[in-house]
Amino acid sequence: MDLTLILAMLGEGFLVSLQIFILTLLGSLPLGLLVAFGRMSRIKPLSWLVQIYISIMRGTPLMLQLMVVYYLPYFGFGISISDNYRFIATIIAFVINYAAYFAEIYRSGIQSIPHGQYEAAGVLGYSRSQTFIFIVFLQVVKRILPAVTNEVITLVKDTSLSFVLSVPEMFTTAKAIAAAQKSMIAFAVAGVFYYVFNAIVAFIMNRVEKIMDYYHD
Amino acid sequence: MTDIVRGSEDISCVSAATNAVSTGAVSVANGANNTTSLLPQEKSLVKLTHIQKSYGNVCVLQSISLHINAGEVVAIIGPSGSGKSTLLRCATLLETFQSGTLAYGDLVVAKNDAHGHAIYAPKSVLKEAKSRFGLVFQSFNLFPHCSVLHNVTDAAIRVQKRNRDEVMTQAHALLAKMGLSGKEKMVPCELSGGQQQRVAIARALALNPSILFFDEPTSALDPELTRDVLKVIRDLAAENMTMAIVTHEMSFARDVADRIIFMEAGVIVEQGTASELINNPQHMRTKTFLSHYA
Ligand SMILES: Nc1ncnc2c1ncn2[C@@H]1O[C@H](COP(=O)(O)OP(=O)(O)OP(=O)(O)O)[C@@H](O)[C@H]1O
Ligand SMILES: [Mg+2]
Repeated sequence: MDLTLILAMLGEGFLVSLQIFILTLLGSLPLGLLVAFGRMSRIKPLSWLVQIYISIMRGTPLMLQLMVVYYLPYFGFGISISDNYRFIATIIAFVINYAAYFAEIYRSGIQSIPHGQYEAAGVLGYSRSQTFIFIVFLQVVKRILPAVTNEVITLVKDTSLSFVLSVPEMFTTAKAIAAAQKSMIAFAVAGVFYYVFNAIVAFIMNRVEKIMDYYHD
Repeated sequence: MTDIVRGSEDISCVSAATNAVSTGAVSVANGANNTTSLLPQEKSLVKLTHIQKSYGNVCVLQSISLHINAGEVVAIIGPSGSGKSTLLRCATLLETFQSGTLAYGDLVVAKNDAHGHAIYAPKSVLKEAKSRFGLVFQSFNLFPHCSVLHNVTDAAIRVQKRNRDEVMTQAHALLAKMGLSGKEKMVPCELSGGQQQRVAIARALALNPSILFFDEPTSALDPELTRDVLKVIRDLAAENMTMAIVTHEMSFARDVADRIIFMEAGVIVEQGTASELINNPQHMRTKTFLSHYA
């Protein structure tokens, strides 16, 4: 098998990895904000439930979470699982896992906004939701960008964990090629793919941080 | 949450209130330039009556009454911890009080029920009340991610839903008056503290409040920066803007205020015209306090 073929196969796997990456961010970034609100809720039982959820997501391996989400419908409820559920289960597991991490990041950002901002907004007549959307949120984004960048870079690498569900993403493909070829080349090429992808992610996040540098407080 | 907020019961405050020296605005004033406080109460822009406020068991305001009339400038002085900020925060709805009445003109924001607990009006009333006053903070509290112009205009457009062009025109005029022309596009961190505070004053004025509260507007500023802020406040006083100013700047208070209120330990100990109170204080505690500023 020549390098072009390896590249082609890994490229195809990479597109699957990219899908997992994008769908996970699209799901977990908004969900994380909701979870953060639940965590900070004045309704104590809700806050406790959310805290338990966060601690489980952060305290157990993502690989195990992938397996549980995949097998739970069958072993838990006797629902037979179709083959395309592999990909869906992967996305579900990634989204709920990353939402927990993002929630804690949002929370720290929201809690770091000085109380005076809320007071100024309150006196000017902004409602609570207006205050959050127009005054607090952008400031939170600036404050949490470095932490979010860390998570996003971790996510790029974590997509490889979906090999446990045999989702045909890049790492699964590389493993298959390596086994068939009895060679490390596919792994090396996959490593380059991950590295370059992360370099691009870091570059983009860096640009966003620069854009937010127009003010400091 | 329901629309009605009920202050929690507090016995320590009730008993303390009977000892309060406070008599309210209408009781003073035979000074020459203090005729405003002799006007009928109905003319008052803001009426705080028998306000009691406590944090837990600590009574911070003990039956404070303060009525401020249109065009009047009131300076509030007193030692640290006497409750000056708390009074302004109660008047501007940043804090709820347990007992008493608060009204802006004909708009009753909170009044006592039969048991003497303050009951707040529904949210819609509170929102309307917020368009009648402005508050300038010691620490400015500008929105750091917004330009100067955005800081000044956003609430007028978004909260008051006023015409954008009209608000812009007004904002430019206000900023010019504050000596900040040309700074519209800057963000707060590019301005000096004195400039930031003047933006905050413009922001409060942009909502066309009938009264402006200031909580130590120059305390966070270097001495050379306070001058410009005080000048702006003086200009507003000359235009008959109604203001209540908590300040430690005694000479400024004497110059600008029609009435000075001396607070200590949650009560109004004494009040009168600037010259009366500063040159001829009646109470020992006032004398002691003022002697620190001699
Ligand atoms: N959130 C709070 N919780 C508990 N106690 C408070 C709170 N805010 C203020 N206090 C207490 O209320 C009292 C009055 O405080 P306040 O800030 O109104 O005083 P002040 O006259 O503005 O003082 P300063 O001149 O230092 O600003 C103080 O004893 C203070 O410790
Ligand atoms: Mg204070």
